[in-house]
Amino acid sequence: MKKMRMLKVVTALVLVFTLVLAGCSSKDSTDTTTDTDTTQTDTTIDDDTDMDEDADEGGVEGTLPRDKTLYFAGLQWGAINGWNPLSDDMNNALLITQTAAGTRVPMFETLYMFNFLDGSMQPFLADGDFEWNADRTSVTVKLKDAAKWSDGTPITAEDVVYTFDTIVKIGNGQGNSLKPYIESVEAQDEKTVVINAKLTDDGIAENTLMVEQYLSTTYVLQKAWIETVEERTGGDPVAMKQDPGEDVVYSGAYGPYFANDQRVVVVRNEDYWGQDESMWGSLPQPTYLAHTIYVDNAAGEVAFKAGEVDVCQQFIPNIQDLWLKDNLPISTYLEEEPYGITGQLPTAWYNLDVPALQNVAVRKAIALAVDYDAIISNAMTNQSPTFDAVPRSVMNPTEAEQSMYRQEDVADLQWAGNDIDGANALLDEAGIIDTDGDGIRELDGEKLSFNATCPNGWTDWMAAIEMVAAAGEKIGIEITSEFPEWSVYQTVVTAASQDQYDIFMMWTDGSAPTQPWARVRQLMSSEYNGIEGNWSGNWGHYANDRIDEIIQAIPKETDMNTLQDLYTEAVEIYLTEVPSFTLMYRPNNFHAVNESVWTSYPEDGDGKNIPPNVMVDGYSIAGLYELSLVQ
Amino acid sequence: MSGYVKYFRKKIIWFLITFFVAVLLNFILPRLMPGDPVAVITARSAQGMSEASAVKEMYDNYAEQFGVNKPMYVQFFTYFGNALTGDLGLSFSQYPREVSDIIGSAIWWTVGLQLPAIIVGWFIGNILGALAAYIRKGFDKVLLPVALFLSSIPAFGMAVILLVVFALKLEMAPTSGGYAFDMLPHFSWDFVRSIIRHYQLPFWSIVIFAIGGQAIGMRSMSIYELNADYVKYSRFLGIKDRKIVGYVFRNAMLPQITGLALSLGSMIGGALVAEIIFSYPGLGTTLLSAVTTSDYPLLSATTLIITIMVLVTTFTLDIVYGFVDPRVKAAQFDE
Repeated sequence: MKKMRMLKVVTALVLVFTLVLAGCSSKDSTDTTTDTDTTQTDTTIDDDTDMDEDADEGGVEGTLPRDKTLYFAGLQWGAINGWNPLSDDMNNALLITQTAAGTRVPMFETLYMFNFLDGSMQPFLADGDFEWNADRTSVTVKLKDAAKWSDGTPITAEDVVYTFDTIVKIGNGQGNSLKPYIESVEAQDEKTVVINAKLTDDGIAENTLMVEQYLSTTYVLQKAWIETVEERTGGDPVAMKQDPGEDVVYSGAYGPYFANDQRVVVVRNEDYWGQDESMWGSLPQPTYLAHTIYVDNAAGEVAFKAGEVDVCQQFIPNIQDLWLKDNLPISTYLEEEPYGITGQLPTAWYNLDVPALQNVAVRKAIALAVDYDAIISNAMTNQSPTFDAVPRSVMNPTEAEQSMYRQEDVADLQWAGNDIDGANALLDEAGIIDTDGDGIRELDGEKLSFNATCPNGWTDWMAAIEMVAAAGEKIGIEITSEFPEWSVYQTVVTAASQDQYDIFMMWTDGSAPTQPWARVRQLMSSEYNGIEGNWSGNWGHYANDRIDEIIQAIPKETDMNTLQDLYTEAVEIYLTEVPSFTLMYRPNNFHAVNESVWTSYPEDGDGKNIPPNVMVDGYSIAGLYELSLVQ
Repeated sequence: MSGYVKYFRKKIIWFLITFFVAVLLNFILPRLMPGDPVAVITARSAQGMSEASAVKEMYDNYAEQFGVNKPMYVQFFTYFGNALTGDLGLSFSQYPREVSDIIGSAIWWTVGLQLPAIIVGWFIGNILGALAAYIRKGFDKVLLPVALFLSSIPAFGMAVILLVVFALKLEMAPTSGGYAFDMLPHFSWDFVRSIIRHYQLPFWSIVIFAIGGQAIGMRSMSIYELNADYVKYSRFLGIKDRKIVGYVFRNAMLPQITGLALSLGSMIGGALVAEIIFSYPGLGTTLLSAVTTSDYPLLSATTLIITIMVLVTTFTLDIVYGFVDPRVKAAQFDE
């Protein structure tokens, strides 16, 4: 009897297990809801959300219709703080990012959109091309007549002026970086803006490139809305930057819809001005842009493969396996290696405060010995052009930048990498030899021993650093790899002087209207030496008067031949002095797409000239107007 | 009765001292980590800025707002005072979001996942352990190795196995998130189903892990008790088997209850693995991101919650034991 009772208990337990596990296998609601009626209107969702009650294209209540939503991954890594574009701290990367390399324009718009494929500036809020005056001290921009705010009021020159004055006044990132180059922005009439460059003592513009960068990186915001924020914060700069901007007025095609710790969703503004013939002539295809907040790259990648993400801005090793082996409907901008257009130059920097690294032969020998092909095939899984395909310089591989210097003039200075004999010969010739027979060379009686570092967890960089360490071993230089946490790493690297890292990795800026000038400056300008918290560049503390002169000269120069001379000379100095060396090329943004729901993404050779930049950065947003549904 | 009062008073004093020391450590330890979180926030805004002096200005602004430029002891008393009123400060990594807001939105996911999972795991584990001790024979021969196997798989291993088998291979469950990727929180059966569906794998990964340990503990305790002299004596006296079993399990339960209380107290730390592997929202992931970003205020607040929960549960246990366990009771009166 007792045993029977026990048997009953056990059976009951097994039943409970089975029931719960059965719940596990029931088909997800979403699978059934996506293809049911999508014409119902959205009603209430969560009180603490930013739902737009007027959205009239919603699906089944609380569900984003799959065929109206474009999902992103790899841009947003935490809950957003708000929608205020005056702030640098909204953590709203899908919508508010204003960098030279890529300004996100789905919600807030710029005067022009930068296209990194050809370096062109496409008019956005502006009507037609901008015009420099004869002595290149000011730029005139006309605004489109059709351009208006989400509240229906027209966008005027006053808005442009007030935005600029405000960002300078409150000192946000944009304001601070433009202040030294733009004297003022003035309204000539209701639809005409004049941007006056800061002038040198000789009366020429300090930097015309930075003025052009302003045109494609700085949002135009509504004066009336800024005044509302000023009113409720008393005009205090800190308070203005902390304001979440729930009531923000915007000009873009998408506005706030929903945000919590797991999602951010924007909805199309059906009255968007851009459907005017003077702009796009239609609305963008997706009704919603949504970004799920994943814990890490791995989670985002799994979702991307499962078709829960359409556009993925993540590094996926061996991405070609997704279509070649897994037969998934996934593609990239280029069908073949390197699969995308690269724009940045992840670089190994020498700490020039270290005496042994002040020796050019040592620097060059290490650079000669590194096996770049192995880095590109292992660390980047061939998602970077090789240095045979794009010889090293200070330019990224885009046509726009490569055309700025004469490759043939510096061909003799190039090195292929993995040149152990060459590196050994160079060191021997310089008298840097192993005198005590321990296998390590000495310089001035000191053993050549360095550390090589990059942040922990940045796997492609870590693999590259290991290759640098391996190269050292082959040429009698001891190089040990170290991987500190990012929070530690960045504090050390940006310090005015540092004696902790000898060889370390940092990025260089990607494509921008100021390139490749800004990259020459970032790689070699001595203006950054001795500055605490240096986020701007030259982290190895290199100094060269001639390079400083070139950096000063380029932004004032307009003649193409002279520009090519200057850039070629800069490359020559870079390759001769080796203050740092590029390890691989990397895209501005990774751009892989899953075509299970949406198709007609930008592709190489489609004749549309839309850059693969996740369709939210600069001119890549044009891609949203070209999309079509698979079915 | 004075023995009880003395016992409680002593416990409360120790509780308060431990609490203060714990808060102090919570404050100091994260700040001993190398790295400068203010520089990280500045970096976020300053990337691409070519004017170094402007960057310095931004850094000073942030440092002022967080008060990190003040002496450590001033920072501590400000922190302690604010914490008592529930103000845990601003997060570094999610600036300008308030720490209390971040924790408020994450904690319910963790409690919702961990509390039922720990309790279910505890019950099932104890029942199975007790049955194994009582029935022995075949049941025990199967249960013991299975339980040993389950409890020796590390928590992350269990989670990864479940993820690979049920989510990736069999596609029976979703791989990540708290609810379907195309849903927004609202009240409907579809949404509730989606929540339950996403709940399964993280839930079972904790339950299965807990069952193994609990079953082994309960089994050995029960076997020990079943062979105790009082059981044999009771049998000689002809007391009914059922009554004896009641006594046995009550005695065997005592250490198991301690175990339950402690695992409830430390559930937030335990949530880390399941939440991270299944990308499940909650305090575990918050804690991890606070560590990797040197977000002192957020880190201090999360560890403070863990500290308080552990302290409160152990304190409650002490008090309850004072009443229920004759051995503890005797010890108090002996003093």
